[in-house]
Amino acid sequence: MNAVLSPFVQSMHAAAQAARLPGSGIGWLDQARAEALRAFLGRGLPDTRNELWKYTALRTLERRAFAPADPDAATRTLDIDALAPGTRGAARIVFVNGAFRADLSRLDGLPGGVTLAPLSRELAERPEPLRFLLGSRQRDDDAFAWLNLALASDGVILRVAPGVRADPPVHVIHAGADAGGEIAWHARSLIEVGEGARLDLVEHHVGGGAQGHFADLVCEVMLHPRAGLDWTVLQHAAGAMTLLRRSDAQLHDDARLTLHALELGGRLARHEIRATLAGDRARFHGRGAFVLRDRQHGDTELLVEHRGRDTVSDAMWRGVADGRARGVFHGSITVAQGADGADANLSNKNLLLSRSAEIDTRPVLEIHADEVKAAHGATVGQLDENVLFYLRSRGIPEAAARRMLVRAFCAEALAGIEPRLRERCDALLAAVLPGEVLP
Amino acid sequence: MLKIDNLHVRVAGREILKGLSLAVQPGEMHAVMGPNGAGKSTLGHVLAGRPGYEVTQGTVEFDGRNLLEMAPEQRAAAGVFLAFQYPVEIPGVNNTYFLRTALNAQRKARGGDELDSMQFLKLVREKLKVMQLSPDLLNRAVNEGFSGGEKKRNEIFQMAVLEPRLAILDETDSGLDIDALRQVAEGVNALRAPDRAFVVITHYQRLLDYIVPDRVHVLADGRIVESGDAGLAQQLEAHGYAWVRERQPAEAGA
Amino acid sequence: MATRPGEIEAALSRRYAAGFVTDIESDSLPPGLNEDAIRALSARKQEPAWMTEWRLAAYRHWLTMAPPRWAKLRLAPIDFQAISYYSAPKNRPQSLDEVDPRLLETYEKLGVPLHERARLAGVAVDAVFDSVSVANTAREELAKVGVIFCSMSEAIREHGELVRQYLGSVVPRGDNFFAALNSAVFSDGSFVFIPKGVRCPMELSTYFRINAGHTGQFERTLIIAEEGAYVSYLEGCTAPMRDENQLHAAVVELVALERAHIKYSTVQNWYPGDEHGRGGIYNFVTKRGDCRGNDSRISWTQVETGSAITWKYPSCILRGDRSVGEFHSVALTHHWQQADTGTKMIHVGRDTKSKIVSKGISAGHGQNSYRGLVKVEAGAENARNHTRCDSLLIGKHCGAHTFPYIEVKNPTAIVEHEATTSRISDDQMFYCRSRGIGEEDAVSMIVDGFCRQVFRELPMEFAVEAKKLLEVSLEGAIG
Repeated sequence: MNAVLSPFVQSMHAAAQAARLPGSGIGWLDQARAEALRAFLGRGLPDTRNELWKYTALRTLERRAFAPADPDAATRTLDIDALAPGTRGAARIVFVNGAFRADLSRLDGLPGGVTLAPLSRELAERPEPLRFLLGSRQRDDDAFAWLNLALASDGVILRVAPGVRADPPVHVIHAGADAGGEIAWHARSLIEVGEGARLDLVEHHVGGGAQGHFADLVCEVMLHPRAGLDWTVLQHAAGAMTLLRRSDAQLHDDARLTLHALELGGRLARHEIRATLAGDRARFHGRGAFVLRDRQHGDTELLVEHRGRDTVSDAMWRGVADGRARGVFHGSITVAQGADGADANLSNKNLLLSRSAEIDTRPVLEIHADEVKAAHGATVGQLDENVLFYLRSRGIPEAAARRMLVRAFCAEALAGIEPRLRERCDALLAAVLPGEVLP
Repeated sequence: MLKIDNLHVRVAGREILKGLSLAVQPGEMHAVMGPNGAGKSTLGHVLAGRPGYEVTQGTVEFDGRNLLEMAPEQRAAAGVFLAFQYPVEIPGVNNTYFLRTALNAQRKARGGDELDSMQFLKLVREKLKVMQLSPDLLNRAVNEGFSGGEKKRNEIFQMAVLEPRLAILDETDSGLDIDALRQVAEGVNALRAPDRAFVVITHYQRLLDYIVPDRVHVLADGRIVESGDAGLAQQLEAHGYAWVRERQPAEAGA
Repeated sequence: MATRPGEIEAALSRRYAAGFVTDIESDSLPPGLNEDAIRALSARKQEPAWMTEWRLAAYRHWLTMAPPRWAKLRLAPIDFQAISYYSAPKNRPQSLDEVDPRLLETYEKLGVPLHERARLAGVAVDAVFDSVSVANTAREELAKVGVIFCSMSEAIREHGELVRQYLGSVVPRGDNFFAALNSAVFSDGSFVFIPKGVRCPMELSTYFRINAGHTGQFERTLIIAEEGAYVSYLEGCTAPMRDENQLHAAVVELVALERAHIKYSTVQNWYPGDEHGRGGIYNFVTKRGDCRGNDSRISWTQVETGSAITWKYPSCILRGDRSVGEFHSVALTHHWQQADTGTKMIHVGRDTKSKIVSKGISAGHGQNSYRGLVKVEAGAENARNHTRCDSLLIGKHCGAHTFPYIEVKNPTAIVEHEATTSRISDDQMFYCRSRGIGEEDAVSMIVDGFCRQVFRELPMEFAVEAKKLLEVSLEGAIG
């Protein structure tokens, strides 16, 4: 068998055999992990014939091998306050190279009814409630989700009890750091917001160092009736990183999910977001922007499924590709049979700034109900030369003018973020935009 | 010609009309006024036969026929016309084509001859003059991209072409500036005829400055609570709808 | 209504009057596909050796391929060994009494004259229409200006060099599963050659071509427009064809040299199966145009109302600078029909433009997918694309899907895609009815309005037929 396995799969296989994962020894968990590993090995990595990976080839990744973990992850010094400013003193949970860092986290001081803990600790103390998250009930053929199930050693367990308003925001920080070699980590998280409860969640992907680690993160989001989640993702992982994420959100009656995502980092960064509007009147609002440069490859897969009645989804994504970057956006809206009264809107606009960059976008609609209002639009283009000229005629140098317009282009998708966080987005954006910085 | 007796109508489970009675004779101009939510538009829609309006009690006779048993297109053929408050856009369907299809369908239903395109065009040109509509409106899709005023004038223009016996104007004045209002009123007045009756549904009295009604009815809480001559509209304008309610305490509570 | 029955009848009888010539050989090959069968087929058609070899190469390639799975279609597996690859039409009913009465009813509604109905239904009436002279007149007129318009079989024999030069140059033998199969076994089709600077003096359609009758399951069409030439080609039929063939896998290749313009219009109304989804044609077509020269232009217009399954993506390769590709489509699925159709616009040259207008109508249990690719290669400076994709749903059990793929590698390109899904609203229906227009008429009026942008692209008589076809196809969709 090993003879045909790629270096990547081999290294994962080896990691599984050597790993001493939290919770091992628990019968159902061991069984689920073993099953997941078999499923992963049987599948191998997805190729571009898989529609969800059509524009993200993994041939390079396939040839690489990663060390199973960073043995010094618990002690590496990292200036989290600088990497994720504004989180100091706030409720936050920090993982460095995949390992929970109690010393950097602050899990107390949360409002009553909010519980925040690392998966590793929960598995040690009360594994039973996690059967749902870790049981082998994989629904599809996502190889990385299987791999994650087989190897996840930590993650976030965050629960908000019914009726509780959990503000100020809770910060989840995944940090990467140099580790004397390229390592892989796998995190599995659960966010559960109870009936009528509300949560503000900010997810940071940060990193220092030059090493190209591999991270495979899976997050399950459960929104009970009338629950509301404001979820902001600031992804500025280290430039050599391979970051594959999958987030599955399940929305029950009258639940609301508002997602804002700013994707800036990583060598290969892919986020597959699945929002299932299972309950009646569930609403999903998604806004996102990616800015890619150099040889970055960014892939956003946004899959929204309307199942309940009178559900609403409304998504707007902006993409910028410069240098030799490739930006991929796939937005898919499915309205299931019987999901009458669905109102679905998807817009994706992209700027292509360089001759060597590429944008691939797919706005897909699948409609199986008739009382539906659905529309989507996608464009690929460049900055409006007339506007550029107007700015220049007012004395703004061309590079600065371009920068200003790109920033404005992205800002439209980020307008709904609460002001302090938006400032942070703006600063992150400013750091990656091409051209001169205006005083 | 039109005889509404004790009409009760439910829409989406809610009772909107609660025993409305109204009689209209040929040649008459009736105004139905009332505050928002009184059931004015419901009256127009139920007379035109809009699906989803459930008549739970009462009768409506039109020329001795049971109007409520008839499909919307049968009512149109019988001569009932509703000028919509919000005329519907039908992308890609040419205005002239729409109107010719409608007219010929009605003529056919009445056992008459269909007009060929030359005859129809002649008719349209005549009517167009009356309504002061720009001819290019005819070549556009039905109501698509029309301004609010254009849509309303288009409704009156359709009325002029279709020559109904009973025209119901549902808030035709809403959203119109004074010039457009005058044009619409002129169009309506030009169509007044001894064998044609009008029911003008409106919130404000201002349309009635231009279209003088024979009878004015106040519709409140699903019923006609007061009727009078044109003077009633002016009193309403002066005192507001609260004034009617005060004058009708016993009935309103019943 | 806008059209008088007489007009349609006239249009229809004109179309079919030319059609039927019984040059069908009495023998057929036994079912089955192998190299011997292909050699035998090629031999019967008296083809030159290069053609036989070409077919065999395609066949060998086909053997290595698997049928595509990605189209959103429910499809029973096809047994390719059960098909006869060279046969006279078989199992023909001997009289109209043996024909499905609903089919005959449809002809009646469309105003098809009685003798034509027999011919359309495939009744073996044999050459009752003496119209060969009409076709010959057309051919003479065309020959005067140097236009070649004949069957593919004849072209292979008479114009071998031209065919050899262009055949497979747009759709290579191994392009896809069905194209490879077609390349191996194609039976017949049309060949059109418009020489340099010639504007074809008439609309060409299969109607004019004497051998067009039953080209069978594997049609192959090749149209070449030389520098500055123009041609408008019409394909299709108005009334549903009764056809025992389950599979149709056609290939159409268009080549436009400098400043040439090819306009290709299709009205496809093969047998769609009955209201329970029984029977009907699987229509798997590869259509591709190559804008090979600068300033060339290829326009595809299609109205697809027939077939149980339609799988076709008429495409344009915009190789020449300033070349233009257009795709206008109406696809209607009713009952259990499935359509997976769209286009590919590949921008290679500078200042190339493409325009896509797709209108999908789904009723009953029909499934309608638009699948399209707009690709801008790195060298395609200032490429422009605009795509408009609208779906109309009628009823609760149908589906309308849109799968656009946009790939851009040039920073001066502008690509815009918009799509909407809507239903015939209750408000629209009530508005029409309150003006005296009955329900079915209101539906066809709204559907016609929805399709207007595409119908405008069709030659006049085709547009009239297309509109009528939609009405007939949608019967029973409401209520």
